[in-house]
Amino acid sequence: MPDTDRTAVATSGIALLGLASIGAAHVATWAGRRWRPPVVQARLPAPLGRAAAIRAARRLNRAAGVLAASVLAATAGAHYRGSFQHRAMFTPLVTASLSLAVSAHGTADRRPSAHRGRDGVYVLAALTGVVGTGFHLYNVASRQGGLSWQNLFYAAPLGAPAALSLSGALGFLAERVRDTAAGEQPMVAGLPLGRVVAGVTSAGLMGTVAEAGLLHFRGAFNSPAMYVPIALPPVAAALLGNAALGASGRRRRWVRLSLRLTTIMGFVGAAFHVRGVARQMGGWRNWRQNVLNGPPIPAPPSFTGLAMAGLAALGLLEDHPDD
Amino acid sequence: MSSNPSSDPLAAPRATGGRAPDVFKVGGWVPMRQFDEDEPVDFVVVGTGAGGGPLIAGLAEGGFSVVGMDAGPWFRPLEEFASDETEQNKLYWTDERVVDGANPMVMGGKNSGKAVGGSTVHFAMVSLRFRPEWFKSRTTLGYGADWPLDWREMWDYYGRAERALSISGPISYPWGPKRPRYPYRSHELNGAAELLGRGAEAMGYRWTPTPLATVSAPHGHSHPCVYRGFCRFGCSTNAKQSQLVTFIPRALKAGAEIRDLAMVGRIEVGADGRATGVHYMRDGKWRFQRARNVVVSGYAIETPRLLLASATDRHPDGLANSSGLVGKNLMTQSNQAVFGTMDNEVRWNKGPPSLSITEHWNYDDAKDFHGGYCWMAQGPMPIEWVTIQTGSRGLWGQRLRDEMEKYNHSVGLKMVGEMLPDERNRVTLHDDTDQYGLRVARVTYGWSDNDKALIQHALGQMQTSLEAVGARDVFRQENDTNHLGGTARMGFDRQTSVVDADCRSWDIPNLWVCDGSVFPTVGGVNPHLTITAIAMRTADRIRAMAADGTLNHPRRAA
Amino acid sequence: MTDSPAGRYPGYDVMDKRDTQSWDQVTRDVIDRRLAVPREPRFFTAAEWETLGALCARIMPQPDDRPPIPLPAYVDAKITERHQDGYRYATLPPQGEAWRRGLAALDAEAEEVHATRYHALDPDRQDALIARMQAGELTLPAWDGMPCKTFFEHRVLGDITHAYYAHPVSWNELGFGGPASPRGYVRMQLDRRDPWEAAEAHPGEEDRALRENRHVV
Repeated sequence: MPDTDRTAVATSGIALLGLASIGAAHVATWAGRRWRPPVVQARLPAPLGRAAAIRAARRLNRAAGVLAASVLAATAGAHYRGSFQHRAMFTPLVTASLSLAVSAHGTADRRPSAHRGRDGVYVLAALTGVVGTGFHLYNVASRQGGLSWQNLFYAAPLGAPAALSLSGALGFLAERVRDTAAGEQPMVAGLPLGRVVAGVTSAGLMGTVAEAGLLHFRGAFNSPAMYVPIALPPVAAALLGNAALGASGRRRRWVRLSLRLTTIMGFVGAAFHVRGVARQMGGWRNWRQNVLNGPPIPAPPSFTGLAMAGLAALGLLEDHPDD
Repeated sequence: MSSNPSSDPLAAPRATGGRAPDVFKVGGWVPMRQFDEDEPVDFVVVGTGAGGGPLIAGLAEGGFSVVGMDAGPWFRPLEEFASDETEQNKLYWTDERVVDGANPMVMGGKNSGKAVGGSTVHFAMVSLRFRPEWFKSRTTLGYGADWPLDWREMWDYYGRAERALSISGPISYPWGPKRPRYPYRSHELNGAAELLGRGAEAMGYRWTPTPLATVSAPHGHSHPCVYRGFCRFGCSTNAKQSQLVTFIPRALKAGAEIRDLAMVGRIEVGADGRATGVHYMRDGKWRFQRARNVVVSGYAIETPRLLLASATDRHPDGLANSSGLVGKNLMTQSNQAVFGTMDNEVRWNKGPPSLSITEHWNYDDAKDFHGGYCWMAQGPMPIEWVTIQTGSRGLWGQRLRDEMEKYNHSVGLKMVGEMLPDERNRVTLHDDTDQYGLRVARVTYGWSDNDKALIQHALGQMQTSLEAVGARDVFRQENDTNHLGGTARMGFDRQTSVVDADCRSWDIPNLWVCDGSVFPTVGGVNPHLTITAIAMRTADRIRAMAADGTLNHPRRAA
Repeated sequence: MTDSPAGRYPGYDVMDKRDTQSWDQVTRDVIDRRLAVPREPRFFTAAEWETLGALCARIMPQPDDRPPIPLPAYVDAKITERHQDGYRYATLPPQGEAWRRGLAALDAEAEEVHATRYHALDPDRQDALIARMQAGELTLPAWDGMPCKTFFEHRVLGDITHAYYAHPVSWNELGFGGPASPRGYVRMQLDRRDPWEAAEAHPGEEDRALRENRHVV
């Protein structure tokens, strides 16, 4: 196997390991979880109970980690396909790996205050995504035909780096939530945290829908299943957005259901993409071509990461009303 | 080769015993209805390519009993199409033909297929619509001949053909009237296609990814294109939407029979002046299939050859030839090119050869000659490339070797240009005979002054474009032609044409011609989509005529 | 793995990919048959074989550090196995007869000028006769009405060069990827190559190209 292929395999391996460690951390805490504090009603954002804040923060860390893992594996494949033509193409692999690592750390961490190192990495990841969007815009614009459908389909994907920014943003918000464990009110930039996370997640879901829609359109929706990620997540995003703006402290069954379905859809989508690779000429025996040119297997779990963040936000909204 | 006859598609017919090869499965078979030779079938269609394939499918789906005959073998692409230029000569019509005239035509892979699916098995998949004015080029543009078809009706049939062939094309096409979205998205461009775009933009011309009959995503049993680049030598993945993997399976499902390795040598005409069936050789024996209608879909060489060879005392100049036009007005298309060398590694053999196109000069009439042309990116394989080096530059010896080694840095633009109809360009019968004992075709061709002016204009334009992207050592391939048309043109009356708008011959009401032979003009784009659209229209027309009782007794002005 | 000499694509051998996803079974069988072409003439006489061998060596000279591609054998096989072009110029007889007449005429032309057969001439004189054939200047009665220029363009150049570039060894010289099914290509843009494509030796990077070409699988 050539060295370059090894790099790709190794990066995918790291991503999988990261996902597994998040899962393990989650299982460990679930096993030892404690009694849940009663809901406190208040007009201002209610101070989170210590345990509730840590739990919500860890859920957000976990969501940021799933998103980072998806970004890491998808970027590794796409930038390997692009022959790492520019050295900057390694950057998102580094920051996504770091984001994944600190998310695993945060998922396992029960301490009641933000972690400086994690904060730093999350900010870095968010910035990488912004800079990456700039690079991708430049790539599209410099191709023959400029901002054309052809280049939106086949040049550097414009929406992809934003997923890394989202991972960073969710992680950053996780740290803010954790900070409230000391009894502060869950606010960020003057806004109730639950609403902010819900808003960011809702917007992130819509962006991811746009990306999936574009690529599934490129694939001519050759399977009816390809409509699911442009049909279901917008419902979840809309309901969550509505929740972000609406009354808090209410049980929102439909929001929760749509987000849970979106969580599952992300993993099922990956399975469909595995099948999609098999559907290419030569199937999995021809993996060196088909993993790169077939549907990207690590992409759909981005929805899972975002939906998990949405569920965490919903928990904050429901349990800690601010109105 | 094993001794099992079904393992060698060229050795013995495969479509026998109620089954036919399944093109989507290694070693697979599908059931096929079979008809008795002595019971007349509604239609026998000679040829299963761009014209025959859709017609057989359309007629069978309309409830007619149909037998399709093809002189070539029935391949299973997944297991029988090697990644090899030389081996894949087996897809071409390589039986002897004699060429002469001022510009003798190169035949074989350039324009003739011999396989179930015809030339669509090895064509470059370029699927373009005519410019609307070309259907009335005499009236609107002042040259050639008018078609008896209306462009608006053709626009509809183009759309149907594009859907049937799952064409992968751009979201919006820069030229001509609005067309519906292509069923599949255009393919990623390769380096050669990018360079066409860069050159076109430098000249201020629009360009676009080429609409191609190869899928960019899975479709039915077809895998998406893997960009192996051997398109012109048979697609081993079934990404290419040839008639072999589209209309032929549809035809079988609808109850048509298709006979492979069945060479039709003569159409029989009865005492009442109507065709009664065809004589054909299969498995070493001459046989006769009775039919109520005979359709000839052999393309512009074999179609007139069969009509001429079927001459009788009553039809001494061949069938359907009271106009004397059978075999005349043969047209090919100018296929000249300009090549050069880039500093970049272009590696032009990756992907379909013609991934981008500019039709600028098909739609711009500010020129001092008739007709239009387009040009497309190029990606020849090594043997094609050496043919260009020897044919255009006369290179041999060490110089040839040195030039060949620039292969991965080479870039090219190739035109498809309109040649005008001329009665002196024609197909006749030569005295030599082929392996079936049939007289071979003699193909006589010369370029007119208009043809030459168009070619020189195009060569200059393409050279400018190549030089604009920094190509060095630019040279011209001046002698190439491609595609066929004419020889049984459709028209408005029996004096000036061979068939009517419905592809029915004026002379014999149950004898039809349905392929590129019916083109009065060829336009400046590849003909395949137009042939497919006409065949789909003809099938609809025949169904409509059967419904209103005019199939057997055409209503015609005297 | 055969190390081809330092050229544009040092160390690249398309046959290294024979057992990878780039080759399917039908292609392996086709190339195996091609490499096993009989090296003795089946159509040509011994004398014609000598003349043809000399002509092939001038039309496609081959490096002497590898076994030559047996070009005369492929010309012979094309005629013996009746692989036709699909068309024939009215002024040319069928391919076997054209070759027979052309080779005899070439010998006759050599005898006429140099009093020896074509294969015995030194390479410069052989080239000079080829150049006159290409220019249409050979007109001895041995041509029997066949235009030497048409014979040269459509039999000599066509049959010999097509045989050369049908052989995998020639693909190494071009850096051509060769067979590609089921695996085709991924990286389509300018200046990009897949790991299973030949690496070109840019000046100063010969070692890197050699290293990469050892892993073209």
